[in-house]
Amino acid sequence: MNDPVDILIIGAGASGAAFAWSMADTRMRILCLEQGDWVNPSDYPATRRDWELRADADFSPDPNVRRRREDYPVNDDHSPISVLNFNGVGGGTILYAAHFPRLHPSDFRVRSLDGVADDWPIDYSTLEPWYAVNDHHMGVAGLAGDPAYPPHQPPLPPVPLGRLGETMARGFNRLGWHWWPSEIAIATREHEGRAPCINLGTCKVGCAQGAKGTVDITYWPLALRAGVRLKTRCRVREILVDDNDMATGVVYYDSDGREQVQRAEVVVLACNGIGTPRLLLNSTSARFPHGLANRSGQVGKNLMMHPWAAVRGVFDEPLDSQFGPQAVCILSQQFYETDPGRGFVRGYNLQVTRGFGPLTTARTGHLRGDIPWGAGHHEAFARHFGRTIGVGVCCEDLPEECNTVTLDPALTDSDGIPAPRITYRLADNTRRMIGHGLERAREALRAAGATEILENPVPMRATGWHQLGTARMGTDPQRSVVNEWGRSHDVKNLFIVDGSVFVTSGGVNPTPTIQAIALHVADAMKQRLANLFD
Amino acid sequence: MTTPSPTPGADATLTPVRRETLRAVLGMLVPPSPDGRMPGAADLPEVLRHIEHVAAELPVMRDGLDMLQHEAMARYGAAFAALDHASRSIVLDEFAARHPPVLERLGLETVTCYYQQDGVIERLGMEARPPYPVGYQVLPGDLTLLNPVIARGKIYRDAS
Repeated sequence: MNDPVDILIIGAGASGAAFAWSMADTRMRILCLEQGDWVNPSDYPATRRDWELRADADFSPDPNVRRRREDYPVNDDHSPISVLNFNGVGGGTILYAAHFPRLHPSDFRVRSLDGVADDWPIDYSTLEPWYAVNDHHMGVAGLAGDPAYPPHQPPLPPVPLGRLGETMARGFNRLGWHWWPSEIAIATREHEGRAPCINLGTCKVGCAQGAKGTVDITYWPLALRAGVRLKTRCRVREILVDDNDMATGVVYYDSDGREQVQRAEVVVLACNGIGTPRLLLNSTSARFPHGLANRSGQVGKNLMMHPWAAVRGVFDEPLDSQFGPQAVCILSQQFYETDPGRGFVRGYNLQVTRGFGPLTTARTGHLRGDIPWGAGHHEAFARHFGRTIGVGVCCEDLPEECNTVTLDPALTDSDGIPAPRITYRLADNTRRMIGHGLERAREALRAAGATEILENPVPMRATGWHQLGTARMGTDPQRSVVNEWGRSHDVKNLFIVDGSVFVTSGGVNPTPTIQAIALHVADAMKQRLANLFD
Repeated sequence: MTTPSPTPGADATLTPVRRETLRAVLGMLVPPSPDGRMPGAADLPEVLRHIEHVAAELPVMRDGLDMLQHEAMARYGAAFAALDHASRSIVLDEFAARHPPVLERLGLETVTCYYQQDGVIERLGMEARPPYPVGYQVLPGDLTLLNPVIARGKIYRDAS
């Protein structure tokens, strides 16, 4: 039997790490169980010539492709978008591009402002101080003064625009549209012991330089030094509860595959918008026959994934677009806020993305037919390599109960735990938004001088990075899973701090908001330690 | 260099005829550039070795090479590798239309291996090295381009 702990965190990714760091100053006994392992920076593909290929192999963001021991399969046959993640210390931050935009004030008030979905029980001002704390720890680069946001000061100077960014900036200016250097969790100068970015261009297969803000090198060293314990290769099967509807701990499989029980006074879920509902649905009991903390029936519902569509422009002049951070270097929020005249509610942002390395240029060009085999091969390759700019349309995805995470009746992980099944479809509002966004993306590329526009399937399948809304927060226990500070309505010592608690998705990358919520929940718990379970 | 693992198959090596056919096909897929700057795939021993290995292990590739040879013999009475460029093109184009997966896979394997060769990377004007630890330079960019954006003012909605 393991010694009981005060707080047991499940998951060592973006939210679990931030939460652990914040709670460390309570000096409570805090333990985190993580199903994956630490990633050794020397193993990152950027240290090898074949780095581009490994994005389709052991460093693929798709767990069904990556198939590491610690990965669980996801049945996404019933979704046009596949689920992407990484299982290990750092979670999704290991492979994310580190694009770090905040939600906007209006994102928390979609019912009041636009008459759709629900308002959040918290608002921008609730999270604002935690955004700032988080920006410091993650090392966010950016430029103050963005007119798309309330004033705030990113701690580090922006990533370089490069020729690519300048080219698109001129295009946006010709159209009179908003654009701004993106906020990105990449150290553009030495920051808290992290080396500055050297433009490897390999962010999405891991940052060998350590410049990218991944929580294995940001929050976790601080939390561990403060006394938090982290056990890797421990996969939680279920959460245990007593007859008083209180969580008592978890059952997990350790690194040797042995079943273990870990008792805890408080259980905190930080497993992302797929892993958290999966674990809750796997934790059935007489008192919770439909899954733990699921008396509302909302666990696993309202899955939102930010449908993504993109076009790529080809330019005559060399742009060196294959170099530099892979995250968005500039973005336009011209179409972010609702305008009823566009035929849809809510909005999207246009994200300017860089080009590809030679191998990816050749492989994707071959498969798409843009770079054919035969006599025209070299001319076509030269026309594309280093001369393309992507413009992505990142759409707000409104919650719908029909978009779900459930348990697959047959599929399991390597420990025999039922795997998640995703059932997801695009709403008509989203389709109209995508169509509008793609037209604007083409317009922007042409204004910037693109001579050719390369199209993609809509939506692009391998883009399900953002898994949100499957255990949403709210003040009504009948319509939400956790309250405004992350505590389960049904189980008073069970908390959720990951993207599951999002009420709506906004239209931007969610990691800074996920972490700000984790810090907010930690702070709320610390403020209520004397009566946490009342 | 890491290359994609071919599906296990039954044959360990290619017959001499298949090897000659394959070499001729590679020369058609990625020929030398007209200005002579970029080498052809068939001229690079590592590419040739890798693709031979892939073709030897994949029945669909071996069958495809046999079909090409058969078609060349039927149409021109000569081996595919012995045909002139124009005749090879006719046979290969027809084959590609009838059996798209074979040429797609062969082409993908070829460009995958080709664009990992030091000589190819250097002729593209890049250094043949991993990105880390040296990295690359990116121009900082002109932030005065933001002036019109700033001048237009706030665009977010207050919602508190």
